[in-house]
Amino acid sequence: MQDRVVITGMGVVSALGMGVEANLSALLRGESGVRTVRCLSTEHREFPVGELQMTDSELRQLLKLPEGRLYSRTHLLGALALREALSQSNLLDSKGLALISGTTVGGMDITEGLFPNPLPEGTPDVHDCGASTNDIADTFGCFDYTSTVSTACSSAMNALIMGKLLIESGERDIVVAGGAEALSKFHLNGFKSLMILDQERCRPFDKTRAGLNLGEGAAYLVLERERSAVKRGAEILGVLSGTGNSCDAYHQTASSEDGEGAYLAMKQALEESGWQPSDIDYVNAHGTGTPNNDASESAALRRLFGDTLPPVSSTKSYTGHTTSASGSIEAVFCLLAMQHGFLPAQTEFQTPDEQCITPVSRVCMRGDYRHVMCNAFGFGGNDSSIILSRYE
Amino acid sequence: MNKVYVTAVVKDVPAEEYGHYLPPMKARRMGKLQKRALVTALKAMEISGIGEPDAILNGTAMGCMEHTLQLLNGLHEEGETVSMPTAFMQSTHNTVASQIAIFTKNHGYNTTYSHRSVSFELALQDALLRLRAGRLRTALVCANDELTELQRQQPRFFGQLEVQDRSEAWMLSIEPGEHPLYELENVKIIHEKGAEDRAEIQIKPL
Repeated sequence: MQDRVVITGMGVVSALGMGVEANLSALLRGESGVRTVRCLSTEHREFPVGELQMTDSELRQLLKLPEGRLYSRTHLLGALALREALSQSNLLDSKGLALISGTTVGGMDITEGLFPNPLPEGTPDVHDCGASTNDIADTFGCFDYTSTVSTACSSAMNALIMGKLLIESGERDIVVAGGAEALSKFHLNGFKSLMILDQERCRPFDKTRAGLNLGEGAAYLVLERERSAVKRGAEILGVLSGTGNSCDAYHQTASSEDGEGAYLAMKQALEESGWQPSDIDYVNAHGTGTPNNDASESAALRRLFGDTLPPVSSTKSYTGHTTSASGSIEAVFCLLAMQHGFLPAQTEFQTPDEQCITPVSRVCMRGDYRHVMCNAFGFGGNDSSIILSRYE
Repeated sequence: MNKVYVTAVVKDVPAEEYGHYLPPMKARRMGKLQKRALVTALKAMEISGIGEPDAILNGTAMGCMEHTLQLLNGLHEEGETVSMPTAFMQSTHNTVASQIAIFTKNHGYNTTYSHRSVSFELALQDALLRLRAGRLRTALVCANDELTELQRQQPRFFGQLEVQDRSEAWMLSIEPGEHPLYELENVKIIHEKGAEDRAEIQIKPL
């Protein structure tokens, strides 16, 4: 039986750097990438952000894309992560692949830069989410199916969930799924309006937590039918063993007190995986650092795991909240944790809060980790969770 | 593998019917698209007799443009002192599907596709595959886009993508019920570099 959905490639860019190696080494060193804004053109220097420390033109040159058209930063970040994932899975010259990408910002950086002027005549579309996904896909010639999921901060995770469905239903053997999101003035000022941005580095689950830091980045996983991966002789990095999606159905931006949506999503993911709560070795929490999210997520974790709560941490203190891309970026971190036998420790955690679980902090834990859970929750209560397992 | 039936298709709900589905008090703070989307969804639930579908999916090419433009205008006029929490929280593409879930207290599968002119078809494909496999018994699949005044005056403002001003809701079920409209056989999505994405919905009238 080789029916599992396995992972045969991954690529990531974030504030921790370009590529899997750079991200891994920053997580192991415990070095946060959240700092004073540099690339985004904004007056709000009081809010630290998680930016990839490269300008748009440097990113364009890395991709060898010609000058003379507009490229959204989401496109550039996404294409770099996708190139790494395709290359690791030895698929750069393949045809007939599917790409499912999550984004909400899309090309808003271009639109807000031009506004109130329209996109110049004769320019390829860059604004809408689908245009940014197709731009990312068409940087390579591999794809005959493209799709964009836009469920705010759970977009990339819902892309992974749909990718697994496409494979399991027999539609596809290989689906590349994940998400990409650049910083924009639009959503920085939006989150500022909601008064949930911290002026210091975010402190998920800490009693003194005061909000989130925005971040940017992209990550893609190559999802593949096990049989196809084995036949190709591809290196198998892990198994996508369970997925769950449930709506909190409570409020457009706030999470319910008991974390009903989060609880149901995690429970579903566990059920689909066939593992018990006590089998889970680590939870990479959504953990944004807002008072509301972390309390609600903690309530849901306590409900689900009871006395068998595994170590939990949020890697948002490393990357900032990479919004639509967070689900796939953190899925990469989970795969790295299993591969290299470590759990990322939160960088800024100091004061436990009785309303919250106490995360892994200061030094990363070393050990043998077989099954991990990764959460991503979005506005509107679009809550999702996945289980990743070591390939055994 | 389950057969999948379309048991209701609703679009163009007349304004005089809105009050039947949506008490004016509750609609007060909603944008035009949200109201229309919600009423269309609620009518599909009523006609099909499925008030609690197992899933709510939406497809939107451009998302919630009224609120997006409010914040873009705010940023342009007031600069970065702007504070528009309501416009921002209602500007995200998933506002519509989550609003339907919040209104009907539905904890089921909930997702939104925003992929140009095949957004609805992607949502339909997602629901179809889940229904076929027995992961869902019923699913509400919607299409929602709005044309703001700016887009009516300057259709190319955000690019070449043609957006239809529409709200549509389909109820899918693995049970034909009393009056099934179609059997949904397949949905195909085709991407070619340099061309618009295409989709084929294969339905059999019943």
